[in-house]
Amino acid sequence: MLQLIKQKNMKAMAKLFTLVCILTLTMSLTKEEDGDRLNGVWEPSNGKVRVKIEKIGTKYYGKIVWLKEPLDPTTQKPKVDKNNPDASMQNVPLKGYRLLKDFIYSGKDEWTEGTIYDPENGSLYSCVIKMKDNNTLDIRGYIGVKALGRTDVWKRLKVK
Amino acid sequence: MKYFTLLLFLISSTRLIAQIDSTSTTKEEEDYSIYENATFNDGQSKIYCNPKIFDLSPARFVSIAWDQQLPYDMKLSQIGNFPTDTTNVKPYETANANRTSGIRVFANIPVISSNKFLWQMGLNYWNMKYDFSDINTPLPDKSVINQLEKNGLTTMGLHSTAFKPLNAKQFILVQFAADLSGNYKLSDIQNLKFARYSGAILWGKRPNDRKQWAIGLSRTYRAGEPNIVPIIMYNWTSPTRKWGTEILFPARIHVRKNFNSRSLILAGYELEGQSYRMGGIPMMVNKELEIRRGELRFRLEFQRQIWGFIWGTMQAGYRYNYTFNADYTERDGSDFFRGFVGTQKYAMINELGGAAYFNLGIHLVSP
Repeated sequence: MLQLIKQKNMKAMAKLFTLVCILTLTMSLTKEEDGDRLNGVWEPSNGKVRVKIEKIGTKYYGKIVWLKEPLDPTTQKPKVDKNNPDASMQNVPLKGYRLLKDFIYSGKDEWTEGTIYDPENGSLYSCVIKMKDNNTLDIRGYIGVKALGRTDVWKRLKVK
Repeated sequence: MKYFTLLLFLISSTRLIAQIDSTSTTKEEEDYSIYENATFNDGQSKIYCNPKIFDLSPARFVSIAWDQQLPYDMKLSQIGNFPTDTTNVKPYETANANRTSGIRVFANIPVISSNKFLWQMGLNYWNMKYDFSDINTPLPDKSVINQLEKNGLTTMGLHSTAFKPLNAKQFILVQFAADLSGNYKLSDIQNLKFARYSGAILWGKRPNDRKQWAIGLSRTYRAGEPNIVPIIMYNWTSPTRKWGTEILFPARIHVRKNFNSRSLILAGYELEGQSYRMGGIPMMVNKELEIRRGELRFRLEFQRQIWGFIWGTMQAGYRYNYTFNADYTERDGSDFFRGFVGTQKYAMINELGGAAYFNLGIHLVSP
């Protein structure tokens, strides 16, 4: 009799565990799907570049896929990251350059813990991305605290 | 159940394995031509011009500097009534200023900072201490020189700057400042009714990333007394990005040489000044005395990144005295406008010799 009760309890525990696992997985996948809304091609407010954001592993990255002026006016060669303080990076082409790095979706339409690189001055900033609507991002680069920063508006592009 | 647990383990393992080295750039081959004809998902996006151009000396969030003038002569007149065309006034108080030095602290924090609107608010604190020798004055305890030596000159103020881009090329810039200047100490700050207000409004164009210009009007105390003057901004960077100008005429004109994105040198001048209410001086009339300090600083300034967003500056040059005269102002704190044509008499006509000076600063610069 006692063994029968134990077996029933074990079965109930297993069902409960399975349910918790399914719920956790479902919630996790839903959050990931929410986060994946960031994927796509975006254009900053200055219209100089287009950036493709994609998820690699668990984090989101954005690379330059188009430049309004692809050639350096002085060398007439494809633009490179010549302002990078790291001399070994100064010959890396800007097209394909990953300027958004390491963002994770933290819920509430916000991607945090990432960085944004400005090739125009070679500076790297902490960054937070806020999705205002499905086609608009507020990208805030800052130093140390969010108050010391600047927000740029990026718009989603449709690739034909 | 076992299979389900195994599945969970495999999913989580896959996610861990998928982590990438974030320091590398993408290496995969991709057809970038597909992005050339991309269009906005929700129609056109409006482009706004940036407040900066390439390679300008960096704007500062927080700044701490030490400013020091080397020895010069100071000759002050008696307090009286002097027509504006007065010359060769007999000195009443004289001294050698061995050292004029002090700290300059400045903070400028963005309240709103987006591509559509930029609004910054800030504080500043300047202090000048005087160290005299060979003092010659008939009023050893209550003379102007005595007050300068005892308390120095202090300026504290609030300032605000707003930048409104109208479109991709045009912008409006508005600045406002309220300063409290005088021979007061921090422990005994003078009445706020003696605050002096200045401001500027400019309209300008930014045709490309290497040039911006603007014209406008300014109410300023830079020449000591209040003035309303037209102003011209012209910031430019050469195509090679090695040279440029940073001009806000008549306040300052600088030629810039960029060594790289982390160091540069500026050569030019700045006109700086303020109106200082002088307390503790016996007056014959029921008025206040304000020293109108305005000086031209011809200089070289080297700026260099120290670490991250911390920059250091070294400045050296020659300080030419534009004015150190004094005016009578009202006890209710109101000021008056003489401009370039007014005939109101001066309370003092003073003379300061020129002096070499240097300024060392450390700054937290903006993105």
